[in-house]
Amino acid sequence: MSQTANVLEIKDLVKDFPSVRAVNHVSFDIKRNTIHCLVGENGAGKSTLIKVLTGAMLRSSGALLLNGEEYWPHSTRDAKEKGISTLFQELNVVDQLTVAENLTLGMEDTRFGFLRATDKISAMVSVMNSLEPSIHPKMLVSRLSVAQKQIVEIAKAVATESDIIIMDEPTAAISEGEIKRLFTIVKGLREKNVTVIYISHRLDEIFEIGDYVTVMRDGRHIGTKPVSEVGDRSELIRMMIGKTVFEQYTPKAQACKDPLLVVRNVSNHKLHDISFDVHEGEIVGFYGLVGAGKTELARAIYGVDEYRGEIRFKDRRLSPSPDKAIQAGIALVPEERRSQGLFTVLTIRGNVPVMNMKKISRSGFVNASQERKVTREYIDKLRISTSSTEKEAAKLSGGNQQKVVFAKCLFADADLLMLDEPTRGIDVGAKSEIYGIVRRLSEEGKSILIFSSELPEIMNICDTIHLLFDGRLKATLRNGCDIDNEHVLHIVTGGDAP
Amino acid sequence: MSADVPAPRKTVLAGVSNETFLTFFMIGVLVVLFAVACLFVPNFYLLQNIINLFSNYWFVIILGIGVTFLLITGNFDMSVGGVVALTGVLSVWFCQGYNVSQNALANGLGLPYGAAVALALAGALCIGAVNAFFIARLRVPSIIVTLATMMVARGIAQVITRGAQRNTSLPDVFGVIGNTFIPGTSVKIAVLIMVLLVAAAYVVEKKTVVGRRTYLIGANATAARLSGIRVSGHLALLYMVSALLAGVTGILLASEYKAGLSSRAMGYEFDALVISLLGGVSIAGGFGSVLGMFVGAIILAVVTSSATGLLLPPDWQFTLKGIVTFIAILAQRFALDRRKG
Amino acid sequence: MRKMEQSLQARLERSKATRAAIKNFYIYVVLVLIVAVFSVVKLGQVDFFGRGHFLSPDSIVNLLRMAVPILTLSGAFTLLMISGYIDLSVGSAMSLSAVVFALMILNGFPFALALPLTLVLGIAFGVLNGLLVMKLRITPVIATLVTLNLFKGIALLIVPRGTSAIKSTALQKMPAWINDYARRDVLLGLPAAFYVAVAVIIILVVVQRRTILGKYAAAIGGNRTAAELSGINAVKYVWILYVIVGLFAALAGTARASYMSLGDPLSGDGMELDNIIAVLLGGTAFSGGEGSVAKTVVGAIIIMCVTTGLMTVIPAFWQVFAKGTVLIVAVALNHLLVREKTAA
Repeated sequence: MSQTANVLEIKDLVKDFPSVRAVNHVSFDIKRNTIHCLVGENGAGKSTLIKVLTGAMLRSSGALLLNGEEYWPHSTRDAKEKGISTLFQELNVVDQLTVAENLTLGMEDTRFGFLRATDKISAMVSVMNSLEPSIHPKMLVSRLSVAQKQIVEIAKAVATESDIIIMDEPTAAISEGEIKRLFTIVKGLREKNVTVIYISHRLDEIFEIGDYVTVMRDGRHIGTKPVSEVGDRSELIRMMIGKTVFEQYTPKAQACKDPLLVVRNVSNHKLHDISFDVHEGEIVGFYGLVGAGKTELARAIYGVDEYRGEIRFKDRRLSPSPDKAIQAGIALVPEERRSQGLFTVLTIRGNVPVMNMKKISRSGFVNASQERKVTREYIDKLRISTSSTEKEAAKLSGGNQQKVVFAKCLFADADLLMLDEPTRGIDVGAKSEIYGIVRRLSEEGKSILIFSSELPEIMNICDTIHLLFDGRLKATLRNGCDIDNEHVLHIVTGGDAP
Repeated sequence: MSADVPAPRKTVLAGVSNETFLTFFMIGVLVVLFAVACLFVPNFYLLQNIINLFSNYWFVIILGIGVTFLLITGNFDMSVGGVVALTGVLSVWFCQGYNVSQNALANGLGLPYGAAVALALAGALCIGAVNAFFIARLRVPSIIVTLATMMVARGIAQVITRGAQRNTSLPDVFGVIGNTFIPGTSVKIAVLIMVLLVAAAYVVEKKTVVGRRTYLIGANATAARLSGIRVSGHLALLYMVSALLAGVTGILLASEYKAGLSSRAMGYEFDALVISLLGGVSIAGGFGSVLGMFVGAIILAVVTSSATGLLLPPDWQFTLKGIVTFIAILAQRFALDRRKG
Repeated sequence: MRKMEQSLQARLERSKATRAAIKNFYIYVVLVLIVAVFSVVKLGQVDFFGRGHFLSPDSIVNLLRMAVPILTLSGAFTLLMISGYIDLSVGSAMSLSAVVFALMILNGFPFALALPLTLVLGIAFGVLNGLLVMKLRITPVIATLVTLNLFKGIALLIVPRGTSAIKSTALQKMPAWINDYARRDVLLGLPAAFYVAVAVIIILVVVQRRTILGKYAAAIGGNRTAAELSGINAVKYVWILYVIVGLFAALAGTARASYMSLGDPLSGDGMELDNIIAVLLGGTAFSGGEGSVAKTVVGAIIIMCVTTGLMTVIPAFWQVFAKGTVLIVAVALNHLLVREKTAA
């Protein structure tokens, strides 16, 4: 069977969710044995597209042709069997086994249950040698670095004769030297009859290893070009952000006050020497793409993760634990509302008072009517659409769930609220309601920190904007003055500040 | 019983939480079992027998309180039986006359009853603290730790009693609390204590911050931590309380029999677990109630006393408990699945 | 800057290596320590001819004979724990097998028939456990506690307490040869049952290191998602492991019955705890993925040393306390030295 020129053809693909069309009639081709990059801001539809390709989700309509044949995967196993392997951020290697054992996992040759070292097995193991000789097949994977584990996963995909390897932000967690090594290997994959779909927001990388690049925006396909025909980063950036008009932002009068939160030289496994101040009533945005360190920074301030450096709140050192942070007056709306922010099996009433039980209880006893009253208050204040306080949190829509998490944090009477991706996966209506809530809070004198990868959101309400890339605070902007969106994107994708 | 727990559903028992639904379900099971037992077991329906159902099991129910709370958070406590034995033995030993006899087993520390009880309970708390340290702090799986502490506790009891028991040279006051009856009945006040403790536990569960935190931790430990709950501190508290409850049980039993047996309460930890499971407490997540555990205890009482009434040898209980627990787990799962749709 | 990173990296590597080395060897250190301690302690019991010494051939033979059940069982138990699952019913499974086996022998079954039949029973135990845990997805602890009581109950039904365990009555005598399997000297003073146990251990070591079952057990325990993504059927393989545990529990039961020449429904009590201690000492992680049959065997020897050593040194009523303390120490050691896999 001769191989088609295009390993994968995407034709008019559509993926709908109840409130949004995430992938909107996307069509493009991926040529065989190339490195095909996929770029776009958060919410552009990249991850949904990948999920459909890998069988994690079913498409709503459209066609996929893999090697010229109809391709309709129903599970990630399906996709793997058909030759599409994926490297996720969560590594899928078994630490306790050796490299060779991982490479051959699920594909062993046996006789009466005994593992045999056949030619096929040796061939699979030798893939490792051809990719990266310094990783010996007998090494225990637990002793390898993250970068090396990635290479093992790549080797496994090659050894199992995958046609396509999808790499999702592979360089987010590895060092510069390791990135260079990874690129050498990735480039070599073309000679091994493997096509790479490379997703990254680090635009320099696109120019370094990409053969083709596809830009997506708002669920649509904007363009696919050979990288050689792309002029420079700015051209890509322009394609990525289009002509988004941001809502009018009204600059606030900045009173001269002592800062509420002082962060100095904070570093940990992810962050590098971050310093900034936050004043009362200020809305500070932290913008960056995947792997920039936003969540890590929030967690460090909140006391969940360790760090070196100093964080002072209300002129006192913060103790590194969430309960102390809450007592001091900081509350966090976590990134994953379902697994981190909510108690999904409990009702709204069970969720709201959790961070400040003292207010609805006396000497340890919960005042049930007070609890109900308070829950009702917040349902009204935040306009959570539900008929009763007794609705199970799991049954609420994403927007309403997020509002419940908000209510939780507001109830904690925090002076500083940290919001990590506050409107992810929420419909437009709920989004603007949440922005309204944030503005109101700031008028009441509360400070808000917003960690987000959605630029419109940041531009919409933040007074001060910090740009993060790779754990570093690269630039700080004041909103209200002319902000060049291209410049912003340039920085968060690894460009240097002028 | 409007607690802060799950969904209103549009089914027969609409507007009622999953937990309440299960409790009613198990009450239904209880009624059915009782009816069946009345048919097959002679004299089962007599009032005295019904009273016995409640009062013969009081010690397992008290133990069940601690076990239920911990199970709600997803942890086991298998050390309670050992702690019961230990505290009983300690209370006897501390109270026995000092140097009154040639027989070493008849000599104790000669302390007044109150002090002996207090120190014995302190001993129970020590075991609880060991549990708390390994489980809450070091995060070692609770099943292993509590099996180990069970052995240590019972082991200490065995050492003190040289493998047998201590029952001599005790002041009269020792036997008072365990042998007093509720005036006008043949029911010991230990049963009353049990009822009061269960009621108190229920109040704690549904109406106090401590109770809420227990459910929160069981429902989602990560979210609990991010919401400012000190999870390991809370778990430590629960283990100490569980040990304390076991200690109280040990004191009462020792007083009732005026003896400290190293073999007391063997297997009670499993019984406590069984009645919690029968009552619908789920290890999977923030779900269950001491009230359910109480119902579960009655169910178990019906089953075991039916076995006795049918003149089955006592060792039948192991098989019965195993089968009953298994059926209960499946039945509860089935009932909840059907409820969801 | 880069140099500093490199030297830090090197130091991290070295400490990882030392850690691994300690992990590998501490168990032998413990073994030597225990033997030394007991040798010294029991010196007081050595008579003029040097008999009774802890390391005397007689005493070693005795220890190994008593170790037969745990040696038979702990290998399979380790494999199961490597996959991340546990079986608390092994003790009762062993007792029930002992009872059934003794019953058969008493009723005239030849050894060659009674043994295989008992093994089939053990397989049935494993099938049941696997069904509850893997198919019905009941938490392993709860499921195997249920079967623990079930097996125990059935054993007690066959041999009610109070009646003596199945052994010779006035009318029926247990044949004298029943002892042979577990007691009669076949080689070096050790009985056939011992060599069977040794064979079992060797087989299981090979299974762990060279067969697909061993590899998949580690894969499932190490990272179940990755294993299933690679096409491994976790339900099937763990079920097989439960069956194997049941099988060897039954084999251990026959050895115990043979040794005691009776079927005691409580003979296996505590076996699960002994196994857990052996496995913990052997460096198996609780969450699975790591472990070694060979090292568990060393752990089993250690616990047998402690048990037999203590038996003559301290009065019987100290045993339970001693065992509990050993378990706590094993837990602490395991916690310090074995890194549990971080939540997947």
